[in-house]
Amino acid sequence: MFHVKVSPITKIISLSGFLALGFLLVILSCALFRNYYPLFDILIFLIAPLPNLLSRKSDSFGSNGSTDFMSESNNSNHDFAHFMTGLFVSSGILMPMIFQHCQIITPESCAMSVLGGSIIYASIVVFTRFFNSSWDQEDDALFG
Amino acid sequence: MNLENERPARLFRLPFKLPTSASARKVGVYLSGLLYALGFWLFLDAVLYSKHANGSDIHVTFVDWIPFLCSTFGMLIVNSIEKNRLLSSNSSLGGSLSGGLDSHMASQARFVLFVGFALLAGGLAGSLVVLIIKFLVRDYNTYPTVGMGVNNVLGNLCILMSCVVLWIAQNVEDDYSYNLTL
Repeated sequence: MFHVKVSPITKIISLSGFLALGFLLVILSCALFRNYYPLFDILIFLIAPLPNLLSRKSDSFGSNGSTDFMSESNNSNHDFAHFMTGLFVSSGILMPMIFQHCQIITPESCAMSVLGGSIIYASIVVFTRFFNSSWDQEDDALFG
Repeated sequence: MNLENERPARLFRLPFKLPTSASARKVGVYLSGLLYALGFWLFLDAVLYSKHANGSDIHVTFVDWIPFLCSTFGMLIVNSIEKNRLLSSNSSLGGSLSGGLDSHMASQARFVLFVGFALLAGGLAGSLVVLIIKFLVRDYNTYPTVGMGVNNVLGNLCILMSCVVLWIAQNVEDDYSYNLTL
């Protein structure tokens, strides 16, 4: 994709920095206002990448190659994973807004927890993408 | 067939790639999940508002939950139907040779599908009924109070839309296998 040579260690360190920044924002949004409801946001955004990861795992381990790839059950499996991902991600963004509208948390806390949760989710997604691309490269090296 | 081969060379092209059916299906399913979450949280907004920030003496009770539960059950039923049953029924509609078991299955699938759509439509209608009878008839017209009823209606509408989007996305005629063989 991009041709800048970055060592994997640098990637991992910067990503973990981003992850820590996200956690910091969400926890700060709770602790500054002494109201610990936004912590649920962390939980939702940690669950959110799971369905896609699980369906991908079952794709690579459970089946024997491309014959199973087009089968109906596998397809609906992917659909369910995508549905749950969309549900979790949008509810992670909607939940602090709803709490703010119901005057459970303050608007500042809402903004901080939405931002922090998005950063957590984005760093997890980018992390898995790095891992997958490295796997692909190994595959290419093996066959090429 | 002939026309496709003799298509002239075009001067213009679309400035973007049209999505393939696989990616369209993916986007549709994501969109459906988003719409379901939107409906769920809109309804939960009404519930939480009634508990935490309510200025009036009207509260969300179990009656308000019934339309939401109907919609959710309807969506579950509609989307857990095996679509192949319905398709096979269509192909064997004219032939008398088709087995009795298959047509029996198809009629069962149609009945369950009807129940599912009835539950979805009943959820939307029920939320409208709650809005009218509980809020509008009793003169709770001003916004922060009537918002609880309106959110209920909007939430059920979002769940209905989510079901429709999921249905369409899963029934898109896929040239996916075609792409793979290319």
